Amino acid sequence: MENYLVAMAVFAGLYGLMALGLNVIWGMAGMINLGLVGFMAVGAYTSALLTVRHATWPIPLGILAAVLVTATAGALVARITARMRGDYLAIVTLGFSEVVRLVAANEIRFTNGTDGISAIPGPWRGEVAPATFNLIFLGLTALAVLVVYLVCQRIRHSPYGRVLRAIRDDDQVTAVAGKPVLRFKTEAFAVGAAITGFAGALYGHYNAYIAPEGFVPLITIYVVLALTAGGTGTNAGAVVGAVLVVAFMEGTRFVVAAIPGLAAVQIAAVREFLIAALLILLLRVRPQGLFPERHIRHPVPDPR
Amino acid sequence: MPMSLNRRGLLAGTAAALAAPSVIRAQAEPIRLGALNPLTGAGGPYGPSMRKAIEGIVEAVNAAGGIGGRRVQLFGEDTQTNPDAAVRAARKLIDVDRVAAIMGTWASAVTTAVAPLCWESRTMLFTVSGADSITQLPHRGFIIRTQPNSSLQITKLAEFLGERGARNIFILAAQTPFAEPNRVILEREMPKYGGRVAGQVIYDRDKTVFRSEVDQALRARPDYIFLNGYTPDVTIILRELFRAGWTGGKVAPAYAVNQRLLDSLPAEVTNGTVTWAPSPDVESPAFKRLQALLGTNDPDPYSCQTNDHASLACLAIARAGAATGEAIREHVRQISQGGGERVTDVVEGLRLLREGRKIDYAGASGACDFTDTGDILTCPFRYEIAEGAKLRTLRIA
Repeated sequence: MENYLVAMAVFAGLYGLMALGLNVIWGMAGMINLGLVGFMAVGAYTSALLTVRHATWPIPLGILAAVLVTATAGALVARITARMRGDYLAIVTLGFSEVVRLVAANEIRFTNGTDGISAIPGPWRGEVAPATFNLIFLGLTALAVLVVYLVCQRIRHSPYGRVLRAIRDDDQVTAVAGKPVLRFKTEAFAVGAAITGFAGALYGHYNAYIAPEGFVPLITIYVVLALTAGGTGTNAGAVVGAVLVVAFMEGTRFVVAAIPGLAAVQIAAVREFLIAALLILLLRVRPQGLFPERHIRHPVPDPR
Repeated sequence: MPMSLNRRGLLAGTAAALAAPSVIRAQAEPIRLGALNPLTGAGGPYGPSMRKAIEGIVEAVNAAGGIGGRRVQLFGEDTQTNPDAAVRAARKLIDVDRVAAIMGTWASAVTTAVAPLCWESRTMLFTVSGADSITQLPHRGFIIRTQPNSSLQITKLAEFLGERGARNIFILAAQTPFAEPNRVILEREMPKYGGRVAGQVIYDRDKTVFRSEVDQALRARPDYIFLNGYTPDVTIILRELFRAGWTGGKVAPAYAVNQRLLDSLPAEVTNGTVTWAPSPDVESPAFKRLQALLGTNDPDPYSCQTNDHASLACLAIARAGAATGEAIREHVRQISQGGGERVTDVVEGLRLLREGRKIDYAGASGACDFTDTGDILTCPFRYEIAEGAKLRTLRIA
């Protein structure tokens, strides 16, 4: 049981990282990004390809490369979609993630196609017992979440974060105020994508296996739900929301198993229904999420 | 006061009666097995009956008194046909339910994602996934696969084409992960029957016209054309072959040339097309029992296979006298192959094992004999021919 809880905590942490990334792009800068899983895939594939398939780099270098590559990819996508907003941006980013998945499935020599990449190394995997590996990885994930959380908090409370929020609320006004809107948008997108790619790389090293089929829009939806449930715009909300989504997904397993007289397929359906119902209920009761964004007011310096 | 004594006696008696079975139950800790099937998602059409096929075996074993007096308890989870969800479900089965075996993973990506968890935690994994790469993983014997890999499928195709007198085969293949491996295997196998592969064209399956591909095939002057695609593209190619006046042989996998395809084309276009596919062992008593259990005349191959997964796991545990993944790994081949009394029913197998006899299990999906890497050695195949918009079975062997 402990081992299972540890594993789920790792999953919650990785989703939390992605929710933090999404919060920079969507929560702070107001760009809807439904292509999150695409950046996760780019990160996971970059690190996996460099640590096992095409080279044998040490894991930290692979992860670093993943962060740099996804940041570049994020900046590129932001530039390409510079003129798009709202629903249009959502569709194009969704398209981006599907393109990444199809490239991973068809560039067989480069990515091993739909067979995926297996035997991705993890820190001390194989040298320690599986339970110990799990614990080590939980420690690493917790540390990663903490560091990224602090960085995101710093961004949020800095003048830089204030500009992002201004762009989110009205980018024309921000432009009139003399801020280079496109540069800010590109940077925010790159930072958010890099965090997501970081989570993707960790995901690959944890599960030891990645395949195109694993990077479907369902994961984006999990993360969007996590951020919405936690509170769009707040970093604590992103992390708590991710924990909540994983708790809903896993807790329902034990709840539905206790219902007597249902066939297996009915149990599976009830479980999915229950997850959806819980999230709807949460958003009905707290439409603004668990940790709604509060306006940060800094004390005005005394004019005298 | 006699009344009160009476009442007390009754109470004690009731308590004892209630307690007794639980004491017995506590002595015999149940045997824990896991079912991990695609109940929702792309595998949704198959998962539910795959699960029923497993539950049927578990119920039969429990009705016959369990394994060595221990009841079998089945824990089930849904893969959602998604590797991410499947990994979390497998974690729960392994770490919370502590199952000895996980049975019935379907999608190849799901199986490959779950496999490392299984071998690291010494849990047996029974799968119906077809990707060749699965049994090449460093699984240390913890994977058993009942689905024929593409090597076995194409070997059977070559044998069949050889019998039909094919000498020069051209392949029109949809762009899939197995297109290229299939060609390599067919090229290796055909010379055994005096034939060869004249060439291959790989096409994008979303195209609507295949005129140039068909021309390329005809230019090679083959006597057989192998349509290695899916129903939509094979439909178009069959029509274009007919228009081009092709009268030679046509062969395609059974999932491509199905009744839907035959209904959508005139009979003269499809006549003479032969198909082949792995088949359950339809003559086996195990298959007939599964027909009754699932309430259908035509149980799908995956349900037949998971039915055998559960039987193999139970028999291996009985043979080993221990309910762990390692016990199943060590003993599964001792009850499935290598001679002994032929058994198709798990309950009869358990009885024979109790009597100390050696058994050789064969189930609804076939002989269930495995290589050292966990692949099946062989399985029955069904060969059919299209005649007047219907498929006629040539043979099952």
